[in-house]
Amino acid sequence: MDLRESLGMAVKTLTANKLRSTLTMLGIIIGNASVIAMVGIGEGAQKFVSEEIEGLGPNVLFVVPGNQETQRATFNLPKTLVLSDAEAIAEQVPSVVGVAPEFNDSGPVVYRNRSTNSTIVGTTPGFPLVRNFTVGRGRFFTDLDMQRSTQVAVLGSELADRLFQGSEPVGQQIRVKNVSFQVIGVLDEKGSGLGGLNYDEAVLVPLLTLSRRLVGQTSPFGVELTYIVASVDRQDNMGAAEFQIANLLRLRHKITGADDFVVRSQKDLLEFTGTITGALTALLAAIAGISLLVGGIGIMNIMLVSVRERTQEIGLRKAIGASGNDILVQFMIEAVILSAAGGIIGTGIGVGGAALLGAVTPFQPGISVSAIVISVVVSGSIGLFFGVVPARQAAQLDPIVALRSA
Amino acid sequence: MTQPIIQFDHISKIYGTGNTEVRALSDVSLTVQSGEYCAIMGPSGSGKSTAMNVIGCLDRPTAGRYCLDGVDVSLLDDRALAHIRNQKIGFVFQQFHLLPQLTALENVMLPMVYAGVPYPERHDRATAALTRVGLDNRLSNKPAQLSGGQQQRVAIARAIVNQPVLLLADEPTGALDSHTTQDVMAIFAELNASGITVVMVTHEAEVARLTRRVVWFRDGEVVHDHLAPEDIGQMAFTA
Repeated sequence: MDLRESLGMAVKTLTANKLRSTLTMLGIIIGNASVIAMVGIGEGAQKFVSEEIEGLGPNVLFVVPGNQETQRATFNLPKTLVLSDAEAIAEQVPSVVGVAPEFNDSGPVVYRNRSTNSTIVGTTPGFPLVRNFTVGRGRFFTDLDMQRSTQVAVLGSELADRLFQGSEPVGQQIRVKNVSFQVIGVLDEKGSGLGGLNYDEAVLVPLLTLSRRLVGQTSPFGVELTYIVASVDRQDNMGAAEFQIANLLRLRHKITGADDFVVRSQKDLLEFTGTITGALTALLAAIAGISLLVGGIGIMNIMLVSVRERTQEIGLRKAIGASGNDILVQFMIEAVILSAAGGIIGTGIGVGGAALLGAVTPFQPGISVSAIVISVVVSGSIGLFFGVVPARQAAQLDPIVALRSA
Repeated sequence: MTQPIIQFDHISKIYGTGNTEVRALSDVSLTVQSGEYCAIMGPSGSGKSTAMNVIGCLDRPTAGRYCLDGVDVSLLDDRALAHIRNQKIGFVFQQFHLLPQLTALENVMLPMVYAGVPYPERHDRATAALTRVGLDNRLSNKPAQLSGGQQQRVAIARAIVNQPVLLLADEPTGALDSHTTQDVMAIFAELNASGITVVMVTHEAEVARLTRRVVWFRDGEVVHDHLAPEDIGQMAFTA
C-alpha cells in the first residue's frame, strides 16, 4: 500500500471526527504558537538591543568606574573616575580622536510655569562628535564655556518640545535645579538610548558648570565622572586603544592589584547583552517547548483511545490483507498529520501574535524561516514519537479478538 | 481430479502452557476440495472458531501442516500471511464490519488498496462486484444508509472482489432475519456455483442444510463429516 493511499485514508478518518481531531491538535497548536511567538519576541529583543549598541558607533570605547565585582555587588559605584583621567586619555592615547566624559544627575528643569524632572548630563564639547549627535538649532557649548563654567544648556529635542511647546528655546532662560541657565542649542532627535538614558529628554550642561554650581565636589580625586566615552580613529586600533587606556588609568590610579575601572567596547557590550537576551530567548523557548510536549502527550492519549475504539476496523483491515506494518504506518500517519497540521496552524498563529506584539512594542519580532521550518518539523516528529506507542498497539492487535468483539 | 483447497495435516492449536493449557484443536486432519460448499458446525468451545481462524490464516497452528491452495502456509511470516489473506481468501463476518466513514464502493475497493491495484481498475472491479450482489444502485451509500441484508451483500462483494479461491464466512446470517438470510444464502450458492469454494461457520441448521457438506467439531476434534445434508436437523438435535 503506497503512501498516497495511506495519506488519503488518514485524512478521511481524521475529517470524519472533526471536533476530536481539532481538540487533539489544539495542544500542538498552542505549543507551536507559543514557541514561535516567544522565540520571535526573544529575537526581536536581541535585535533591538544590538541595534541600539551598534547605534553608538563601531569605534567607541566606554570606561566605567569599578571592577567587574564591585559593579555587580553595589548600586553606587566607586567615585574613582575623574575629569583629569579623561583629559589624560585624550592627550596621551594616540589613536583616541575624541573624549566625552559624562556625569549624570537628575532634577527639575523649569521654564516659566512649566516644570519637568529630567536627566542632567554634564559633559564636554567633545560630546556631539564622540556620541554622533548633531545640534539642530543654536550651538553646543565650547571650551570657553567649560573654563568659565558658564551657565548655558543644550536641550534634548523632546525636552525642548515639552518645555517650550513650539516657541523658540534658544536664548531663553531656564532653571535647572533652581539655578538659572541660558538655552544655547537643541540637539536633533536620536531616539531612546541604552541603559534607560534618553538624551532626547535630557538637558546637557558643561561638566564643570555642573560640578561647581549644581552638585559640588563629590569625589576626593577631582571632578567625578559617571563614565568616559572615547572614540578611536580606526576599527583596527580598538584593541590597542583599549590596552593603552587601561594601562594609562592603572598608572594614574597607582593600581597594583585589581583594576578599579573597566574598559568596554561595543563588541563587549554586544556580547554581554547577547548572552542575556540569548538566555532569555532560551528560557521562553523552553517554557513554550514544554507546552509542545504536553500537546504531544495529548496526541498519544487520543491515539490510544482511538486504537481501542477501532479494534474492529483494525481487525477487519488485517483480515482483508493489511499486514501489521500497514496498520502501524496507518496510525503513525494519522498521528503525524495531526501534529504537523497543528504545527502549521500554530506557527501561523504564532507569527500573527508576534506581529501583533511588534505593533504595540518598540521592538520588531524577528521570525526567521528556519524557526518556522524547525518548529513544523519538530511538531511532526512529536507526532511520530508519540504515535509509536498507540500504533504499535494497533499493529499487534489480534484480529480474531477484534472481529468477534461485536 | 479436483485440487484440494484446504488441507489440514494433523493440525493442533494449543493456547497457554502447563496447567492452563487448552487444546483448541487436537490433531485435526481435514481436506476441502476446490468447489466445495461446506458448513462447519459444533457447540461453542468445540474448536470451530479456531479452525476457522487457522483456515483464514489469521492464526498459526501450534503443530501440523496446513496447505492452502497447494501452498504450505504454516511457516509464513506476518507480511506473507497478510498477502495470502488478501489474494486467496474472502472474509464475511456476522457483524459485516464495514467501515462507517466509507461508501459501499470504497468499502469494496479496500482489499484492492492493500493489493496495490490502481484506482481506475479498482473502481471498475468494485462496481462489478457490487453489481454481482445486486447493489449497483447503492454505490455511494454509506453503511448507515443500508439495511442489514444490504450491508452483508456489500461485505460479500468486498470478499469476492480480489477473486479469492476461498470464501470464508463466520456466522454470515447471524445478524439477519429469515427473509434476508434466504437472499444472502442464494448469493453464496450462486458464488459457489461459479466455482468459488465456500466454507461457512454456522450454528443454524436451516443454513447448514443449504450447503453440501457439514463438518462437526467437538472438543477440538472432527466428530462427523457428512456429505449428505438431509439429516442435519436431527444431527443438530442429537449433538
